Amino acid sequence: MIWGIFVLLTLVAIGIVLYPLLLSKSNTLTRGDAVPAILADQMREIQRDMDRGLISEQEAQAARLEIKKRILATTRNSEEKAGSSRNGGRVTLVVAAVLAPVIAAGYYLTMGSPEVPSMAFAARAEERAQTDEVTALAIQLRERLVSDPTGGPSEGWMLLGQTYQRMGRTVDAVEAFEVVAKREDATSATFSMLAEAVAVANDGVVIPRAKLAIDRALELDPSNPAATYFESLYHLQKEETRKAYDLLVSRLNQEKTFVPWMETYVLQINRIAAAADLPVVNLPSGPTSPPGPSAADVATASEMNDADRAEFIRSMVSRLAERLEDEPDDLDGWMRLANAYTVLEEPDRAVEAYRKAEALLEQQPASDPRRAAVRAALERLGG
Amino acid sequence: MVPEIGHFALALALALALVQSVLPIAGASRGNAVWMKSAQATAIGQVLFVAIAFAALMQAFIVSDFTVRNVVENSHSLKPMLYKVAGTWGSHEGSLLLWILILAVFGAGVAWFGSNIPAETKARTLSVQAWISVGFLSFLLLTSNPFERVFPPPLDGNDLNPLLQDMGLAMHPPLLYFGYVGFSIVFSFAVAALLEGRVDPAWARWVRPWTLAAWVSLTAGIALGSWWAYYELGWGGWWFWDPVENVSFMPWLLGTALLHSAIVTEKRDAFKSWTILLAILTFSLSLLGTFIVRSGLLTSVHAFAVDPERGVYILGLLAVSIGGSLALYAWRAPEMEPGGLFRPISREAGLLVNNLILAAATGTVLFGTLYPLILEAITGDKISVGPPFFNAAFIPMMLALVVFMGLGPFLSWKRADIAGLLDRIRFVVVLAFIAALAAWYLLNGGPIMAYLAILGAAWLLFATLREWALRIRLFEVPLAESARRARNLPRASHGMTLAHAGVAVLMMGMIGSTGWKSEEIVFAAPGTEVTIAGFDITFEGATQVQGPNYIADRGTLVVRRDGELVTTLFPERRYYPVAESQTTESAIRSTLAGDLYTSIATPASDQVNNAGAWTLRILYEPLVNLIWIGSILLVIGGCLSLSDRRLRVGAPRRAKQPASDAVPAE
Repeated sequence: MIWGIFVLLTLVAIGIVLYPLLLSKSNTLTRGDAVPAILADQMREIQRDMDRGLISEQEAQAARLEIKKRILATTRNSEEKAGSSRNGGRVTLVVAAVLAPVIAAGYYLTMGSPEVPSMAFAARAEERAQTDEVTALAIQLRERLVSDPTGGPSEGWMLLGQTYQRMGRTVDAVEAFEVVAKREDATSATFSMLAEAVAVANDGVVIPRAKLAIDRALELDPSNPAATYFESLYHLQKEETRKAYDLLVSRLNQEKTFVPWMETYVLQINRIAAAADLPVVNLPSGPTSPPGPSAADVATASEMNDADRAEFIRSMVSRLAERLEDEPDDLDGWMRLANAYTVLEEPDRAVEAYRKAEALLEQQPASDPRRAAVRAALERLGG
Repeated sequence: MVPEIGHFALALALALALVQSVLPIAGASRGNAVWMKSAQATAIGQVLFVAIAFAALMQAFIVSDFTVRNVVENSHSLKPMLYKVAGTWGSHEGSLLLWILILAVFGAGVAWFGSNIPAETKARTLSVQAWISVGFLSFLLLTSNPFERVFPPPLDGNDLNPLLQDMGLAMHPPLLYFGYVGFSIVFSFAVAALLEGRVDPAWARWVRPWTLAAWVSLTAGIALGSWWAYYELGWGGWWFWDPVENVSFMPWLLGTALLHSAIVTEKRDAFKSWTILLAILTFSLSLLGTFIVRSGLLTSVHAFAVDPERGVYILGLLAVSIGGSLALYAWRAPEMEPGGLFRPISREAGLLVNNLILAAATGTVLFGTLYPLILEAITGDKISVGPPFFNAAFIPMMLALVVFMGLGPFLSWKRADIAGLLDRIRFVVVLAFIAALAAWYLLNGGPIMAYLAILGAAWLLFATLREWALRIRLFEVPLAESARRARNLPRASHGMTLAHAGVAVLMMGMIGSTGWKSEEIVFAAPGTEVTIAGFDITFEGATQVQGPNYIADRGTLVVRRDGELVTTLFPERRYYPVAESQTTESAIRSTLAGDLYTSIATPASDQVNNAGAWTLRILYEPLVNLIWIGSILLVIGGCLSLSDRRLRVGAPRRAKQPASDAVPAE
């Protein structure tokens, strides 16, 4: 449809440029015709003024003489030019008619965004309703977590933090992540998410508080890609470009196959490379595994800034669920999903997820603390 | 989809402008009729495509399509519909698009209506107009794309400055731009004439309707802007010598000079070089104004766009167009044949003096506007050149101008009869002095300058009326005969009378509202009484009211005169939560005699002694409405003149009805 309209407009433009070809040759007004007409008109004005007694006979005579002189001069001038009118140059016109749309299309194809739809405010009621829903869910989740005498499960706080992050409420996100960061069960991901939230809340600057979180994250898991990303950003902001670059490249090279966060890495590496005249890298090809909510994935999302308010908690949970369909052996994944369902007050699904985790835990040593956690949770849910 | 159509249409407009900037002018110099004719179609095509783009942007504003960045930044779903529409030209990008649309409208106007203009002149003119289009379209597309998209879109927009949510302001930019940009076509005519190497009375007649059209809308635009400032800003002033006002005033002053100089070129084949120079300079000042406002060089209410990169681009455009046209002028103007001769006392000489004064006044305003900017650029010192400078330098010049304005129409072309002239104006001079002395006696006080101004205004008004009376021989012949004569006068002549009288009326408004203004600023607790200019005003307190998108503190002021209730005024202080800003809504009792102007500011609750007190500002401005009435007379005068048969564009060239034609004077 949009391309049809573009074609139509282009045809109109071509028609406009070619239009003079349709005109008859004779109707060109020359100076020799136009100027005497005006001067003759002025002559008549003088006559009328004299008739009305506005000017005297002598004044009228003088004025007439002057205008006559002008008429003579004009006729002389136009005779010099007479006969020079040509009607050739049609080819040039056709060339222009071709060139004009090429210029317009050339510009538009580089600068236009034909793929972006229009969205009138009135047509976006559903989106607004969804956003309201997320806000309501976040409030609900927070209330439950705060009122929980045990301080609320860490997974719940993490979920809340991520939700806030996506809503653009970065300060609240930092608060939520920090609850978990102070706990024993804080993982490397907890700290990298905290680091990210702190940085985003400070206009993307890795302030010392964020740097502390990065260090903790790397301490717990030196291979955490999100933590490495922000570590690199920290060095970049200290103008240690080379170090920032090397950090990303060496982490990228550790991976054998494609993982979603690589896209963000490659983008950032090449951005640094372009500014500092360093070699660019290519995205390692490989099977595109379904994207899961990895920390770096979230980092990408928040890099896009307010670009993804439309995505939230429920879609995150369902993404996790989808991923687990394909990777049913991810014990921690099932635990997180079960927790999320609990928080969302969907006990049936929570029980189902805990059962999956329980089955996987069979293979773990009996001393694994997660066994007890799952048992306790199932009891609470009455499953 | 719609914004993309707009974007693509703009690209096509640029492509057409490129064709139009090359082919017709090449055709004119090579005598190729087909190439010359292509200008007409491309000029009309340009206006079509730019209008599509403008409509697309407006549609995005109307439906609040927040996938368009410009809409996000300058609109909000809760804004009243009228201001959503006005938001189209409220932003930097949108206002430039409007600028370009008007540029295209004037180009298309010449293409459509200019059937009496020879093909060569028209082709050259339209090519030059297309050069300007190319410059501004590329500026828009490359640095300030109004159709930049955001996806996914944010849920709502960031609103528009509530100060700008005003009917006067909504209409202000379009009218101002119409005038500003309208002078572009006059510029194009001038450059074309220089390229052609010929300026003659015929040329002047082709240009005059366009000059008049631009001048009328610029006059209306400036008056409307002043009216807006008076009602909306809450300061009770109608002109602040703010740089943004100045940049619109300068083209007006020079445009006025141009209007008069073109008459001399048309009637007497003189002032040719001067008319061309004025045409170039008038539009150059319009460009300068666009640059100053759009580059964010200033920080004032109007300057919303702050972006140095754009400034550099406009500066480049400015250097090329002004520098190029002036260089062309320096090269070609000396070759022009000198025109008709005239004596020191003649209509030509009168118009020359008028031109010189207007040019000097423009220079004064230009200096006052640019000096602080230049000083800041060189030394880093920030100074502001304000009303004291302009009042001291500008007003005496205007008084001198008024003397010649009254005198001019009495003078005849070539050589005037001094004895007859003195005879005709003697009565007027005496009358003007009587008026000034009467004012002195009645008003008893006020600045001496004001009495000089009263003298000037009275002189201008009486001289204008006297000249009109002479023409129709009022009281010399029977009234019916005078009426017949009045009907027979060309409309341009009536236009001049109205416009000159309008200036006199305007002056009276200015004198009254500045020389005899009374002002009171009080901390008022409920029950406080203020007396000003014979009015007793009681402040009955303030309440909070809820508007559609604001919360307001509304004061109640009961106005009495000699114990009798005159009116009740409700000034407001509004707070717009989305935009987090405040505006003052003054309440005014408006009569021809003067305006009682009241405004209220936030309560002074933090001050210990004034708890519960409000700051009230009460002004009485005598005759202030005469300013708008005078402006309206100017506009009507201009329109009348424009409707004169001889100037009506596209009118048949060979007149068949002698009764409705002209005297060589307006």
